[in-house]
Amino acid sequence: MDIKEIAKRIELMVTTADELMQMGEDFPALYRNTKRIRASLKMLEINVSDVAALEGDEKASS
Amino acid sequence: MNTKQKYWNPVLETLPREKLRALQLKKFKRIFAWTYQNSRFHRKLYDVAGIKPEDIRSFEDIRRVPKVEKAMMRDVQRKDPFPYGDALCVPLEEVSEFRQTSGTTGQPIYQADTWQDWEWWAECWSYILWSQGYRPSDRVFFPFGYNIFVAFWAGHYAAEKLGCEVVPGGVLDTQARILKIQELKATAMMATPTYILGMADTARSKMNIDPTQLGIKRITCAGEPGASIPSTKQRMEAAWNAKVFDHAGATEIGAWSYECLEQPGGMHVNDAMFLVEIEDIETGDMIEEPGRRGKMIITAFDRLAQPCLRFDSKDVIEWDSERCPCGRSFRLIKGGVVGRADDIIKVKGVLLSPAAIEEVVRGIKGLSDEYEVIVDRLNDIDRIKLKVELLPGAEEQTKQIEEILKDQLRLKTNLGYRIEFFDYGKLPRYEVKAKRFKDLRKAKEGGK
Repeated sequence: MDIKEIAKRIELMVTTADELMQMGEDFPALYRNTKRIRASLKMLEINVSDVAALEGDEKASS
Repeated sequence: MNTKQKYWNPVLETLPREKLRALQLKKFKRIFAWTYQNSRFHRKLYDVAGIKPEDIRSFEDIRRVPKVEKAMMRDVQRKDPFPYGDALCVPLEEVSEFRQTSGTTGQPIYQADTWQDWEWWAECWSYILWSQGYRPSDRVFFPFGYNIFVAFWAGHYAAEKLGCEVVPGGVLDTQARILKIQELKATAMMATPTYILGMADTARSKMNIDPTQLGIKRITCAGEPGASIPSTKQRMEAAWNAKVFDHAGATEIGAWSYECLEQPGGMHVNDAMFLVEIEDIETGDMIEEPGRRGKMIITAFDRLAQPCLRFDSKDVIEWDSERCPCGRSFRLIKGGVVGRADDIIKVKGVLLSPAAIEEVVRGIKGLSDEYEVIVDRLNDIDRIKLKVELLPGAEEQTKQIEEILKDQLRLKTNLGYRIEFFDYGKLPRYEVKAKRFKDLRKAKEGGK
């Protein structure tokens, strides 16, 4: 399982969601739905990205 | 999706221990920095202790971080913003969920969660349910009074997340719930052990329905330690012909522990989401080795609105020396939560403090200072008898006093009581320490 690749894809989704939220300032349906998606994306970060970053930290320190 | 995959998260649940520890340290630093920056209450606490985010470099440093107790949160909540106080780390408009503790030990604690926090609650529960064999093919029945108490709310959301079909059994009475389980062929349910046993008894004795034939395959329990007590688990499993699993969680903490399909005689701590420390109750030393009981100090790594940082839960636990055959690297606590560091007991899944009863009894004119509380169990259902004395001259007000007592007790403790009145002077008098509280359930268990 390539968790680094998964983490990259998650990061792309987070970037996209953040951009959509910025575009949704005057668009409640866009803003609120994307905010919910952002919360789900946070769960992906907790499940995958945090541990993927840990491996990056280890490499940097070695 | 491969439903035969046994781990909800095959990466985290099998992460080698040293990596888990590194992840925990990193996540602790992150939540500590967040809390320090955003909670006035915590910042003041940590400033007084002389500890700042950059000081956290090791687990030894973590142990220098002051603990937070429930009583401190009561003080916090007298401050702005209403009703959460100055431990709130987000603007009020970010709060999407309100829950509160039962309040049996005093003023209830109000818990704020953002939608992300609520997703996190459901995520923690997803680890629980997947490990216990819940899959999208399950139809999960919730015989639970959906209300201000968190109880099975997050279990409901997690079951949806897993893809299960969820049946909310909210305001239905016990018989209607049983009929609905029968009609819909539900495969799983969640409730307190007391209620699981009570439902089975109702089905058999009042409805002539054999609960073993209803098709329930798995049951997840919470609120009481019963599902980790072998004899009670056995009774429940026999009554429903189902696998019964325990889990542990709390309003201020989250769902931090679970029993997996292997039923190893204990529960896994979700080490990826929580830091569980065990502290010797007498000495305050940290307990790392298996076999020594202490009280749990717990941190939730990813809960942001109202953080749970080194919370003194007073739950008594001990590490297990055995690894679980399921292959998870998450540590086991032996026998689940085995007690409380204070004298609070659980009745019908509700934490009950004798002090809360005393507060009610002594607030009613016409009653003497003396009282007794007796908790026992009839047909696997907990019940409480309260013995009180009428002051001379108050006999004519008995009915009125009984109504007030029942109302006040319900309000203060969320429980119903059988009241027994005595003439003045008939209840025992004590010197020095009174023994007003009798838990006959323990006596019975001990006698077996």
